[in-house]
Amino acid sequence: MQRSLSSFPFAPAVKMRLIHAGFHATADLCDFRPLQLSKEAGISQDEAEEVLQAVRSQPNQGRAAENKLTALELLEREQTLGTIVTFCSELDCVLGGGVPVGKTSEICGVPGVGKTQLCIQLAVDVQIPLCFGGLGGQVVYIDTEGSFLVQRVVDMAKSAVEHCSQLAEDTEQREALKEFTVETILSNLFLFRCHDYVELLAEIYLLPNFLAQHPEVRLVVIDSIASPFRHGFEDLSYRTRLLSGLAQRLIQMATLQSVAVVLTNQMTTKVASGQSKLVPAFGESWGHAATQRIILHWEGQQRLASLYKSPTYREATVRYQITGQGFRDVSPAYHHEASADPSAFSSGNAHKRPRVEEA
Amino acid sequence: MAANNFSVLHSSFGAMVFLREGLCPGLTGELIQALRSKGIRTVEDLVSSDIEELAQKCSVSYKALVAVRRVLLAQHTAFPVSGADLYEELLSSTAILSTGNARLDKLLDSGLYTGELTELAGAPGSGKTQVCFGVAVNLSSVLKQSVLYIDSSGGLSATRLLQLIKARTSSMEEQMEALQRIQVAHAFDVYALLECLHSVRSGAFQQVSGVGTLKAVIVDSVTAVLSHILGGKQTEGMSLMMQVAGELKTIAKDLNVAVLVTNHVTRDGNGSLKAGLGLSWSHVPRTRILLQHVERPGSGLSSLRTATLIKSSRQPCHLIQEFDLRSWGETEDQLQPGPSGKRKLVEEA
Repeated sequence: MQRSLSSFPFAPAVKMRLIHAGFHATADLCDFRPLQLSKEAGISQDEAEEVLQAVRSQPNQGRAAENKLTALELLEREQTLGTIVTFCSELDCVLGGGVPVGKTSEICGVPGVGKTQLCIQLAVDVQIPLCFGGLGGQVVYIDTEGSFLVQRVVDMAKSAVEHCSQLAEDTEQREALKEFTVETILSNLFLFRCHDYVELLAEIYLLPNFLAQHPEVRLVVIDSIASPFRHGFEDLSYRTRLLSGLAQRLIQMATLQSVAVVLTNQMTTKVASGQSKLVPAFGESWGHAATQRIILHWEGQQRLASLYKSPTYREATVRYQITGQGFRDVSPAYHHEASADPSAFSSGNAHKRPRVEEA
Repeated sequence: MAANNFSVLHSSFGAMVFLREGLCPGLTGELIQALRSKGIRTVEDLVSSDIEELAQKCSVSYKALVAVRRVLLAQHTAFPVSGADLYEELLSSTAILSTGNARLDKLLDSGLYTGELTELAGAPGSGKTQVCFGVAVNLSSVLKQSVLYIDSSGGLSATRLLQLIKARTSSMEEQMEALQRIQVAHAFDVYALLECLHSVRSGAFQQVSGVGTLKAVIVDSVTAVLSHILGGKQTEGMSLMMQVAGELKTIAKDLNVAVLVTNHVTRDGNGSLKAGLGLSWSHVPRTRILLQHVERPGSGLSSLRTATLIKSSRQPCHLIQEFDLRSWGETEDQLQPGPSGKRKLVEEA
């Protein structure tokens, strides 16, 4: 079957030359050698080689075939990838066990509501050893605001280690605890500080290589995506294009390298029909960027987390609090009430069930 | 037969085809050399020039040139199809695939038509992906057909698909079979999408499936891979977008499948919603539906959505239906009960 040459990822200049020389479809190139092609089309020999390589790899169906799977295989993959718990059981429940690995999640909220706290909590929780039901992974933390506080990591790490040591029952778990200390938690966290959007974009372009070298990384946090992009842009449509290109890269990275990508975003005021309301920054087109969106907000003195958009779970709002130990449920008493409530959605169970049946 | 003719129509590349040895019988290297020396380089040049004069100028055989021209014309032309044949084809092979949601079916004049492109546009969280899931699940578990789901936005969740399938059948075996009938491909940039669509067109996905024939291709979303290469001073993006459009239309016609794509929305000057990707793309889908949240004071987050028909060749535009994302697949008695979706056109005709 013929495929048009302009559908290949070649440089525009190379494409132009090829088309002007009369090459339109893959079949036109089938018995050319690089030298011959470079003469015929007026492109360099390297370019000709590149073109021929791309075209010849077609019969094997290249990337498309590797990415092809059935929904059943995808389901198995989703279940093996697991989720990162937030230590707020109500929020975990709404998210079907926590922040999903292999997807992108966006956390939006006003300053001080706890976005960074949640990110740091996730950075600690992703490292909980496998035998405690965690992922035992490493974390990449990209800080663009300078809001990362290593002291908070230490606080939350201490409390997570303590929590696990209370749960330890068998020898395997006690063995794992020797490795799960505040020091190891800190050494498994890779912090990148990006000062402007160019640095951030460069970092994200390079990140897939870093992840390939560190296959244990299960979480990439970008705190925040908003601050480098909220000033210094005269051409807003250029910003929108940069952001949506960035979003695609992040989704690709999340899927292909099995990491959870967590972004934080700021809120902005939108005036519509005479009323002002707070909405996540960057407008509606950015709203499509992340697979799921969680909005953290205040109601009086109470902090609330709303799952605003998710392909898997129902929209819901739950309460949480931020304590010295980290991101937590409001109170144990409320939790029991919530789990008895049928509207609280038994997603945690639904998520686990097929695995049990298969076993 | 008409299907063959369609493929001919689509596979002919403009007139900028260069004369090359082996392009058609009788077109020898010698002949090409002779023609080139007189400035005849492309098929277009040859076809549009005066053959008698050319034969004299290049001192080649007039007969050979006429023969070559006839073959070249035949190769690059589109065959006419009679309306009667086309109608026959329509009746025998067009299927109407129910979406599994009675209200949406009503909006779409009973479902998705094979051979056509349908688009869902909507803001974030308006339910585009959920509608895609619903359609995929209804096709695989109720109609027992195979579906290809091309995910370009990372939104595909097999966990959710299983949940939807469980609502329809309690048999574990049937659930697994239904999941296997949904094929998944990831394409996160436009080239990967084009490559994937190309392999669909070459039949890669039809052979593997085995269970049921491929009846629908879902792309969620086309905008995700296209939006950042459009606009500004780039012209490449527009060309790639039209290639995606062309591939999708070819797939719909050649493989006789229903194509469902999702699109984002933008706001125009007055603040009202319109589908994304601009004017050129708006000619691509045959049917276009806008999904929106139902905003009721005090209700907060709800699962109610409205679907508005913005473009259709069958139904009056601006029809509005309201539906609940939670109750996908539940049939509604107050809606007119009809046979479930397939081949309904025959009765209407």
